Amino acid sequence: MIMISANGCSMIDQRMAFMESELPTFKEKNPQLEVVNELIHGQHPHLKGFYKNKNERVVCVKNMTPEDILLYATRLRNALGRKVVKLTTRHVTKHPSVQGTWTTDVKF
Amino acid sequence: MAHRRCLLSLARHATAIISQKKMPPLSAVEVLTRKPNPAITIPNSELSWFSFWSHSRHFSSSKSEDSETEVEVEMEEASDVEAENDNAASDLGRDYSPEEKEAEAVAIGYKIGSHQFKVSNGDSIFTERLKFCEVNDKLILNKVLLLGSPTQTIIGRPILPDAAVHAVVEEHALDAKVIIFKKKRRKNYRRTKGHRQELTKLRITDIQGIEKQEIKTDGKPLKAAVKNPEKIAAAV
Repeated sequence: MIMISANGCSMIDQRMAFMESELPTFKEKNPQLEVVNELIHGQHPHLKGFYKNKNERVVCVKNMTPEDILLYATRLRNALGRKVVKLTTRHVTKHPSVQGTWTTDVKF
Repeated sequence: MAHRRCLLSLARHATAIISQKKMPPLSAVEVLTRKPNPAITIPNSELSWFSFWSHSRHFSSSKSEDSETEVEVEMEEASDVEAENDNAASDLGRDYSPEEKEAEAVAIGYKIGSHQFKVSNGDSIFTERLKFCEVNDKLILNKVLLLGSPTQTIIGRPILPDAAVHAVVEEHALDAKVIIFKKKRRKNYRRTKGHRQELTKLRITDIQGIEKQEIKTDGKPLKAAVKNPEKIAAAV
């Protein structure tokens, strides 16, 4: 799940705060991620995560403290790129039965 | 009266055990000595084994939750301990592990975060958010209730001491949003709240504590082996 984060910044103070304090530590902790800073005019600051399954997740971080931004960044990093759907089962298995599923024909 | 009851229950359990599937009578079932509750009064030594058998069947059939309060306490302790330790190669997550069943791939049921699961090797489990582990961390789950394989079943009382389940943390993610909407009609009361549960996805890699029988499925090697003797027989 290697992902690339891109920040589009239009709010100056917030950008400076986050980029100075949080981003370098985030970069060091995650050497497998490619973190890119882009200045995009006319857009609110956001975090973009690109996932291995060609999925994009965008999080708007307008007016957020650096700690909150870091939290969202770590969430993006922790997650896989799968679509956020309500869980049908908590347990995904390929071997549902070990000793054989019971049918009416099974005799002990 | 009591003697008659004992004999009756003995006979019942004996028939049940004899009719058990794929299990040699005594040797396969390793009944461990730890007794779960003092509430279970066992008059005879023979009865102890048989009465336990009925309890074990109860375990294996239902995935009931055991001793939630204990589990929660242990979870907290584990989390405090884990915060201090380094998250290097493997972490000892002392989460509650329920039934385990082993297959050609190993199958386990374990309890984690006060839920019990029956899993096998290579399964994915969604549990409550585990605070002390990062992504790609290895967890060893100690509390295993039951181990099983195609020929053997090991039942714990209530847990198996030497069994372990290895799991890898795949992701920490948020569940889909659930909107909690409250309304009381004609009373001008309406509330909307959104909730996203934090989940952890674990992938089971290994189960230890039972002999594994790797039954390779009938693929090409078997067919080739079968063909060769046929050819040889035909040639001869």
